[in-house]
Parts: sequence; structure tokens; C-alpha cells
Amino acid sequence: MIRKTNQIKTLEELPKSLPTVQITVPEKVYITLMEMRTRKYTLSVVEGDYVKIGQIIGERDGGYFTQPIFSTVSGTVGKVIKKFTYTGKKTECLEIINDFKEEYAERVLERTDEAISKLSKAEIIEIIKENGVKGLGGGGFPSYVKMDTDKPIDVIILNGVECEPYLTADYQAITKDAYQMFKGLEYVMQAMGTKRGIIGVKRTKHALLKALTEVKESDFKDLNCDIIPVSNYYPQGWEIELIKNTTGIKVKPGTLLSEYGIIEYNVTTAAAIYQAIKFNLPVLNRYFTVTGDAINNPCEMTVRVGTPIPHIVEAAGGYSIDGDKVMVLGGPMMGSNLMMDDAIVSITVSSLLLFKPQEYKEEPCVRCGSCVYSCPANLQPVQLMYAAKTKDGDAAKALNIQNCIECGLCSYVCTSKIHLTDFMRKAKKLVK
Amino acid sequence: MASKTGFLRKTSPYVREPKAKVEKMMYDVLIALIPVIIFTIYKYEFTAVWIILVSIVSMVGTEFLYYKLRKEPFTMKNGTALISALIYALIMPDVTPLWIVFIGGVFGMYFGKLVFGGMGANIFNVAGFARVFIVISFGAFLVYDVDTVAGATALGVVKANPFDMMILGDFNLWNMFTGVGEAGSIGELSGIAILLGGLYLAFRKSLDWRIPVSYIGTVLGLSTIAALIVGAEMTYPLFTILSGGILFGAIFMATDPITSPVTGPGRIYYGFGLGVITFFIRIFGALPEGVVFAILIMNMFVPALDYYKWANSKFTIKSTLVFSVVVLVTVGLLVVGVWQ
Ligand code: SF4
Ligand code: SF4
Repeated sequence: MIRKTNQIKTLEELPKSLPTVQITVPEKVYITLMEMRTRKYTLSVVEGDYVKIGQIIGERDGGYFTQPIFSTVSGTVGKVIKKFTYTGKKTECLEIINDFKEEYAERVLERTDEAISKLSKAEIIEIIKENGVKGLGGGGFPSYVKMDTDKPIDVIILNGVECEPYLTADYQAITKDAYQMFKGLEYVMQAMGTKRGIIGVKRTKHALLKALTEVKESDFKDLNCDIIPVSNYYPQGWEIELIKNTTGIKVKPGTLLSEYGIIEYNVTTAAAIYQAIKFNLPVLNRYFTVTGDAINNPCEMTVRVGTPIPHIVEAAGGYSIDGDKVMVLGGPMMGSNLMMDDAIVSITVSSLLLFKPQEYKEEPCVRCGSCVYSCPANLQPVQLMYAAKTKDGDAAKALNIQNCIECGLCSYVCTSKIHLTDFMRKAKKLVK
Repeated sequence: MASKTGFLRKTSPYVREPKAKVEKMMYDVLIALIPVIIFTIYKYEFTAVWIILVSIVSMVGTEFLYYKLRKEPFTMKNGTALISALIYALIMPDVTPLWIVFIGGVFGMYFGKLVFGGMGANIFNVAGFARVFIVISFGAFLVYDVDTVAGATALGVVKANPFDMMILGDFNLWNMFTGVGEAGSIGELSGIAILLGGLYLAFRKSLDWRIPVSYIGTVLGLSTIAALIVGAEMTYPLFTILSGGILFGAIFMATDPITSPVTGPGRIYYGFGLGVITFFIRIFGALPEGVVFAILIMNMFVPALDYYKWANSKFTIKSTLVFSVVVLVTVGLLVVGVWQ
């Protein structure tokens, strides 16, 4: 096959829309003490302490990326235990034993609209930072950092394009929390003095367009925010694609969005910003999707941050096969692989996929060029593969490997079923 | 609720395009060749059948033995050897002795593909390589016999003066397109049968349209310019693309992905290069095997076209400029050459 591919096929035996199931808050939650870009942590509680929902229990230290750690249940602090996280590695987590009283910490409050309208940019940034809001689309990048710029920001874009197949967390969030998203957008626009907002969603998702338009019509008539439908392809959710398709601005890979006067947030992040500013609440729950052909009841649910994976698997009816399976946190194209189900849901995780193993027979490259045609970053994966094989760092650099977003399309399309994306990761290491 | 067995180690992405398969692409080529093969057998009857059989035995057999003797795992299922064999057979003149077909098949397969490391590693189009091998070794046996049943080959006749439309007048363009009544190498007669195969491949995305379009477009463009200069009839450009196996070469040989560039612009340049070389061989040299030579010559330039320092996955301003200059220079050379 010689073609550009940007549509990802899903397993046909899986239902198109998933039922929602109720899942209990687990008896124990595990809060990750280390996250992306943090190096160490300090805890302000010790084993046996009583903590409440939303209480700060420590700090992840990472210079610019330093962030508070929150309890997501009320109960007693347990031990520091290592659990698998979305990084695919074991990470230190703090166990908290739930007392099911759902008591909120004193720091949780309600700001009046008037009080909020008086908040300055610095204050809003501080509140967002204090509540540890970060990119919930998966990036996990602290949200306040994007606002901490002196550059004029002309437009705030909310990304509602969930482009990987199977994932429905943003879909659930928009249908339920559109109000919070608009509010969050309004607050960021207020802080940045920005006049224009954009929410991008897929053209094919009529329910989302409808939900957003209705909320806009009823509650945000005066907000200058366009709901822009964009076409349905992968990786439409990549900020560079979304920005191009909503504003026409072509962002050069590797440059900062603020230089173009743009801030981009995931829709769920905007809702989290609202929660932080209105109630001083950190992210406690995630809309969640469990699916794949190795789980009994593919479904949607709302999961407390820190929930162990086995608890979720149980709520979804258990594994459907006894043999080996492939477990993924995140999407089928970019998610991370877990080799143990002794894992937990941290703040950026919104899906669990379980697949029956598939073996692909790899053949020599037939130089069909599909990978070149399909790469959204305009790279030449086949050439980068040769660079990786011959350990030619100069070639990898000249071929712009640093622009690779590891979207997985090159592996997905390869006629010879070569795992190109793996070679891209190797080529990246040659350049560093 | 622990799982009874393990979780496998994989890396993202975890899904693959089910339709992307080497086998599918190669089987499509086999299907696309069917009309051409049927037409060839209809026209040459047992001569064609024998040539096809001998070339399959020699090429597929060589690959089979090679891997058997070296005790290496291999698969014939992807059909690449069979495709090379069929194309090789179809670019043979009907007068070729079978023993030459056989030797060419064995040598072509061995030196054109296996010594490079098998499928995907060969630099030259295997069928073209085998064909050129026998031209060089046994040229004398391959003269197109003007007096044989099917009559003169269009190309053999125009050797003397490529623009002599008096002679060309004997060749009915419609006959050349349908293939009823003209002669050449056995598989390149019917334009319709070849185009049918090409359309099927393009539709199935098993061929990159850029190469044949740029190849045929270039030949068409250059021959139009040449015709204008010498004042030949405007049927001349059509005659050019319908003769000498250009259609067959453009659709079934130049598009061989293994021996063509991997980027879109690279493929356009490649097709352009093919067109230029084919056309210049035709008007200045008049070798009947011009197409095959052009393909092998351009095969050698593929690594250069793909070289990482300048290859781009999209056209850039710079590459467009350079390409335009090259096109202009080519046209200039043609004008100067034809004028004299
Ligand atoms: S993984 Fe990298 S190289 Fe492959 S298609 Fe995506 S961006 Fe291109
Ligand atoms: S690596 Fe795969 S997709 Fe890329 S040219 Fe080779 S066979 Fe085609």
C-alpha cells in the first residue's frame, strides 16, 4: 500500500459507544510522588496522619515544574509504596487509606464571581499553580507555565479533539462539563487580557458541537469564543495541527506557542482551571475509558485519581482472556505499555486498553514510501530507520528527528510491518 | 483481581493498518498483469507461453535454490520473484531463444537481486537488469525481424529518421493503443491492457501514480516540443508514448517501489529523469531497449535522490526552483539538439 494514512481503524468487534458503569472510590488510593520532569519530593505528612480531600500532603520538586501533592480521599496516610504508573516504570506512591467520609480540606473554598473578577493575572497564575493543574490531555505540563509569559496572547485555544481511537474521556467531559470549560476559558482570557477564545472539536462529533453551542447560547453569550469544527483525522489533536486548522497559523515545530500569541489547553484542563479558581480544588476525578478485546465489559466511568488498576478492571468485568495480553495506559497510538497490573491511575491518565496480543510479521522494507507520506511532521521515517540502524547521528539530525512527535503513524502504516516508531526513539537518542 | 498470566512488553503504537501488507501489494501487481498476459498469449500463442514459463522457472527457481542451499529462511509468498519473472518475460522480443531467456533469468535474479541481499536490498529493477544482461551478452540474437509474422516494430522502423512521419503513417495509432496489429517486445503491445492494469494498481494504492504520470508527462512534453521544432505532425508525441514499451515500463517497472525513491518529490524527479533519458535515447540513439536502459540508469540515481542532505518529503521553495531550472536546461538542450 502506498498512501498517506491518517485514519486509524479500530477493532470491529468493539461497540461504537460504551455504557457508563459506576465505580466505587477504592479503599486505598496511591498518589504518585514523582511525575514527569520532577526529580525528588518532600512529604509534609507521615504515616498515620489524617488527611482530607484536596489537602496538600507534600511537594514534587523539579525547579520550574515544582508542584504540590494532594490527597484525593479523606483518610489515614499509609506507607510509601512503589507502583507502576503511566511512565511504564515503578514509581514511589503514597498510600492513603480511605475512610469514605469524603471530607474536604479547609483550603477548599468558594470564591464569588465578584472576587474572581478582581483577581489579577499573577493571582490567577498563583492559584492554578497552587492547585497543581496540569495538561490533562496527557502532556502533564504545568498549566500555569503557559500563562507565565510577557508576550501578548491573542487567542486561547481549547483542544477538544480527542484524536486517538477508543478514547472518550474528553467526549464525556464536554457533554457533562461544558459550562466549566467555558468558565475556565473565561478566567484565562481575563488573566491574559485576551479577546478571543476558540474551542476545537471534531466535525463528526455532533453531540459535542451541540452541547458546547447550547451552553454558549445560554450562559456565555458575551464571551468571544468560536466553536470550530475540525476534520476527523489523526493526529488532529496535535496542537500544531489544531492551531493550523482553527486559526490558519502555521507553528514551526520546536518554537513556543506564546511567540505566536497563542495558549492552548485541553478542554479538561480548562475545566480543572475552573475548579481551581472557583473552589481551590485540585483534580480529583478523571473521566475514564476502559476498552479493548481483552476486557469483559468495555465501558466508561469516572475514576478517582490514585485508583489502582485492578479495581478498574474489576468494575469493567475483569479480563476476558487468561493468556498473555497487552495493557496500555493512554491511547493505542501513543499510550504507555504496562507489564504488570500493579499500577495506578495518576492525574494525566484517562484510559486503560487491554488487547489480545497481535503478532505482526516483519518483512524487509519495500520502500513504498507510505511512512513518508503519512508522517504528520513531514519526516522520512524510512531514512531515519537507516540512520538509527547505522547509528548515524548526523543523518538523524539532518532528517529533523527532533520534530518527531512519536505519533506512531509510521509504524501503523508500514507495508512491511516494521516498527518504525521504535527506530524513531532510537534515532532520537543518537542526537541527544 | 490479578491476571493469571503476564502482560506483554510492547511499545506504542499497539495497532497496525490491517490493509498494509507486502503480499497485498505484490498480489495486486500480479492481478494487474493479467490483462497484459492474456493479450500477449492471444497474440503470440505458444511462443509467449514458453517465454513466460521459462522465465518463471529460471527466476523463481534461482531464488528458491539460493535460499535452500544457504539454508536461510525465506518466503516466496510475497510474490516478488514471480512478478520479476513475469515482467522479464513480457519485455522479451518474441524471437528470443528460450535458452537465452533462461540464462538471463538465472543471472538477472542472482546478480540483480540475491547478491544484494534479496528483496528490498536490490538497487536495480530485477527484470530490467536481466533484460539488459541478455542484450549485452546476446544482442545479436535479439534483432527484431522485420519480416516476421507481426510485421515491423514501430521503433525499429523509425530508427533511421525518428521524425519521418511518412513511415510512421504506416503505423496506425489506434492499432498501437489497442495492440492489435503491431509488434515489439511481447508484453508491451496493447496500451489498453497496460493502462487497465495501471488504473487497477492506482485504484488499489499499490502503485504511486507520481512516477508514471511524471514519466509519461515528460516524454509527452519533450516530444511535443521536438515535433513543434521540426514541424512534425502532432500525432508524433502520441506515437512516442505508445511505442517502445514506455507505457509498460512506466506502469510496471518504473513504479517498482524497491528501486524508486521514497519521497513524493523524489518520485516526480525520478519520473522526469526517466522521461528525459528515454526520450534522448530515442531521438539520438534509437535503442529499442531505451526504456529499460533509462530505468536502470535512474535506479542508480535513486540513492542520490534520497540522500538525506537534500531529500524532502514535500516540495520546498528551493527544491522547486532547482527543479524548474533543470527542466528549463533540459528543454534548452533538446531545442539545440533537434535544431541541427
Ligand atoms: S512517529 Fe515520528 S516519524 Fe513516525 S509518523 Fe509520527 S512524527 Fe513521523
Ligand atoms: S519503512 Fe515501511 S512504510 Fe516506510 S518505505 Fe519501508 S516499507 Fe514503506
